[in-house]
Amino acid sequence: MPRIELEHLTKKFGDFVAVDDLSLDIEDGAFVTLLGPSGCGKTTTLRQIAGLETPTSGTIKIDGKTVFSSKESIDVSPAKRGVGFLFQNYALWPHMTVYQNIAFGLENLKWPKDKIKERVNELLKLLKIEEFPKRYPAELSGGQQQRVAIARTLGPNPRILLMDEPLSNLDAKLRMEMRTELKRLHHETGATFVYVTHDQLEAMTLATKICLLDKGLLQQYDPPLTVYEKPKNIFVADFVGNPTINLLSFKAKQLDSKKAVLEGHGFSLIFESKDPFEVTEDVKLGIRPENVRLVEKDDIKATVSSSLPSGMETTLRLLLPDGEALSSVVFGSVDFKVNSTLNIDFASNSLNLFNEIGDLIALGSAKLGEGPRLE
Amino acid sequence: MLETKAVKTRARKIKSDASIFFRLKNFLKKPQNIILLIMTVCLGYLTLFPMLDMIIDTVKVHPAEAMRLGKANGDLTMNHWYKVLIDSSSLSIFWKPLLNSLVTSLGACLVALVFGGAFAWFITRTNIRWKKVLSSLFIFPYIMPSWTIALAWLNIFKNPLVGGTTGMFTAITGITLPNWFCYGAFPIAFVTGLHYSPFAYIMIGGILRNMDANLEEAALMLNTKRTRILFKITIPMVLPAILSTFLLVFSSAMSSFAVPSFLGLPVRYQVLTTQLYRTINGVNKGQGYVMAMLMILIGVGILAFNQRLTGTRKNYTTITGKSSNIAYINLKRARTVWSIIFLILIVIVSLVPLISFAIESLILRPGDYSLSNFTTQFWIGTSEQNKIANAEPGLFRNPALWRALGNSVKLSIVCALTAGTFGFLAGYGIVRARGTKLSTIVDNLAFFPYLMPAMAFSAIYLAMFSVRRGIIPSLYGTFFLLVLIGTVKYMPFASRAGINSMMQLSNQIEEAGDIMGIRWWKRMTRLVVPIQKSSFISGYLLPFISCMRELSLFVLLVTPQNRVLTTLLYYYNEKGWSQYSNGINLMIVLIVLLVNWIVNKATGASIDKGIGG
Repeated sequence: MPRIELEHLTKKFGDFVAVDDLSLDIEDGAFVTLLGPSGCGKTTTLRQIAGLETPTSGTIKIDGKTVFSSKESIDVSPAKRGVGFLFQNYALWPHMTVYQNIAFGLENLKWPKDKIKERVNELLKLLKIEEFPKRYPAELSGGQQQRVAIARTLGPNPRILLMDEPLSNLDAKLRMEMRTELKRLHHETGATFVYVTHDQLEAMTLATKICLLDKGLLQQYDPPLTVYEKPKNIFVADFVGNPTINLLSFKAKQLDSKKAVLEGHGFSLIFESKDPFEVTEDVKLGIRPENVRLVEKDDIKATVSSSLPSGMETTLRLLLPDGEALSSVVFGSVDFKVNSTLNIDFASNSLNLFNEIGDLIALGSAKLGEGPRLE
Repeated sequence: MLETKAVKTRARKIKSDASIFFRLKNFLKKPQNIILLIMTVCLGYLTLFPMLDMIIDTVKVHPAEAMRLGKANGDLTMNHWYKVLIDSSSLSIFWKPLLNSLVTSLGACLVALVFGGAFAWFITRTNIRWKKVLSSLFIFPYIMPSWTIALAWLNIFKNPLVGGTTGMFTAITGITLPNWFCYGAFPIAFVTGLHYSPFAYIMIGGILRNMDANLEEAALMLNTKRTRILFKITIPMVLPAILSTFLLVFSSAMSSFAVPSFLGLPVRYQVLTTQLYRTINGVNKGQGYVMAMLMILIGVGILAFNQRLTGTRKNYTTITGKSSNIAYINLKRARTVWSIIFLILIVIVSLVPLISFAIESLILRPGDYSLSNFTTQFWIGTSEQNKIANAEPGLFRNPALWRALGNSVKLSIVCALTAGTFGFLAGYGIVRARGTKLSTIVDNLAFFPYLMPAMAFSAIYLAMFSVRRGIIPSLYGTFFLLVLIGTVKYMPFASRAGINSMMQLSNQIEEAGDIMGIRWWKRMTRLVVPIQKSSFISGYLLPFISCMRELSLFVLLVTPQNRVLTTLLYYYNEKGWSQYSNGINLMIVLIVLLVNWIVNKATGASIDKGIGG
């Protein structure tokens, strides 16, 4: 069954390194999203798997078979890799009807006529577009075009489906609908899905594993919740999650192997972890907005700078005594007065502590403490 | 962006471990690379090689001058450059014609921009009447051969001062017009300007149409006066495009040959092209090549300047909006007046020339417009009836005409097919391999013939292919040579059309086929070509029409056997049988208009969608 292995994959465009020594193992039946800001190399990676782009060096194996190797001079053509590719702007052929679009690839594979008809009808049904076989792409809505594109890609039963930001041209409501649809398709086809997106929410909700890239380099390759809770570095922490994670700078001093005092913003915190760690002088504490909790007791003081209630939850913008801003999400339908003062603490045993070069050093809790001052 | 440790390590050098053979194989696996490689070789041989040949010829002693210079044939000499640029004779050989060329081209630009620009503004921004009729009539002069209006000018305004008969204007009013009005700088600039004003209209109109009307509406909401909007927003916005139009018209006007030769030569008013024709055809080939070189340099300079201009951030027009429902300016009572003014002007420029050809081809004694002087003998008369013109039978009974017509049509079709196909393939390769060196090379090579003055180009081909070269036998006098030069010369039109259409076509459309294993040939015939049908056909139409009305490219290369319509026209004109030349002119214009109309109706493709001279 299809498993995709990338080994030391590198792609250069002139002097620009688009993908830098990427090694990745995509398991059979996985739904992997390639996530990252624009220009991070995610689309290039996907196109190299498909064979649309030739890597500068490295190896690509599909189903244990080498389809590309710069060392062994192997380069299997896209059509023979057994992959389907879904393009960002659908790439439907405007001069062919929906039926012709889906059937064209199958005709090319020399399928018998009645089998093609059967397969196209099956796909039309699967994607709920049975009413439109005679329409031209221009006569369909964005969502319907997307469905036709998916049907066309699924036509020859590819065991691997590669998708390049397929939902980015759809409106918010349709996008939600198509996400559900894609998850259903993933389940029904049992194929391996590789999905490129710059939308972290899409990546979180769809994937079994997220591959986060930045500037051509792999940042983290883990299941979504791991990426969310244990980001390997500040880039990952900052990229994933909405509203974005709060990153507060502190001066740090080690108390013992599992404890440190963090000083800054007019207060000091005792940071404690289950595992031993070592701080650097400057650290950053990453606190997810939902972990900034409002408390009754006298704790860290913060003033409300804005309050955005959405019904299910309220997003607060808070200011610490030194003016540093912090966001907080409070569940339930509540509202707060601007400029009112609140007490907050940081509830969680998995706050992220990053060292001065931005790598994660510890997960732990932080409490307001009287501990020894730094100076 | 946040810096991380990992990012800092990327400074190291990455080297591919793939073998050269493997990389070459991968390179050749892409059809666009194969196309580009073949194009580089062929176009290099057909454009750069002649160019090199020409450069060498400028510093070589030619057989005819060996004695005078006291050097052996083929020796190195700077004499040609010296004569053209420095010697006392240079004033009349080069500097004066250069000045004349600059003056007439500048004048032509002004006429084209004012007439074409004003018309574009009226059509896109006001509620002027009869928009459809006006704009389709307006582009007539652009479709017709460039000398059409020039000949009409002579037919109408000719004065007897330089000998010969008078024109219709003098015949009707009795007023003899001064020389400056009939011949030389003024009519050349004016007529060339009229010929290119449709081009200015197409360019500026396209920009005005694509310009986001919200920008003007935003100013309107702020209570800005209409005239202030025009001068403070509309014009500054389209200014870079206007400048670019200006440069293109300027360079086309600089290289135009027929108009100055019809309107300038009677009073010995020489511009660069006519002077080039004189020197290449008789006076001194070496000096002619020096002039051709200088003309190419001027052309390259203008084009490079234009490219810099359109590449800068001042070029706002790339930001286009789709807001099409701008409120047209209500011309109120002036509406009908303006509509009629434009209708009259356009009819004068577009239809009057045709009528004048028809009349001139029907009168027995030139200059006499009384009804009794009209005759159809130049169209259908037998050779016995036509005593005046050397017993030449009327056009419809004239085997020379039918042969020339056949040659013209055959040549135009073959050239259109070859130039169109190769141009489209070049465009395909250039766009698909965009950003690579090879793509840039072919892009420039395919466009280069556009900068070559047609006269110089054909002179070089004449020199190059009149003898056997390697495996290529002597081609002089063959139909193939005409096809070859036509194909290369019209490639720029077709490759531009190809590039434009391929740019509009997302790469993914083809990749979607590629990934399903659809072969290149099938991808082209079933996907790319059907989708881009209209601009694909435009790529054939432009070379066809250009070839049909081409004179200066073929005038040196034809022999009596393969004479085409335009050179037959030139022949009759030189003999002074104006009835025949006017008749042929009418035929050429009608054929060109007819083909354009048929293709336009059948496929939606149209000549005004491309650029060209």
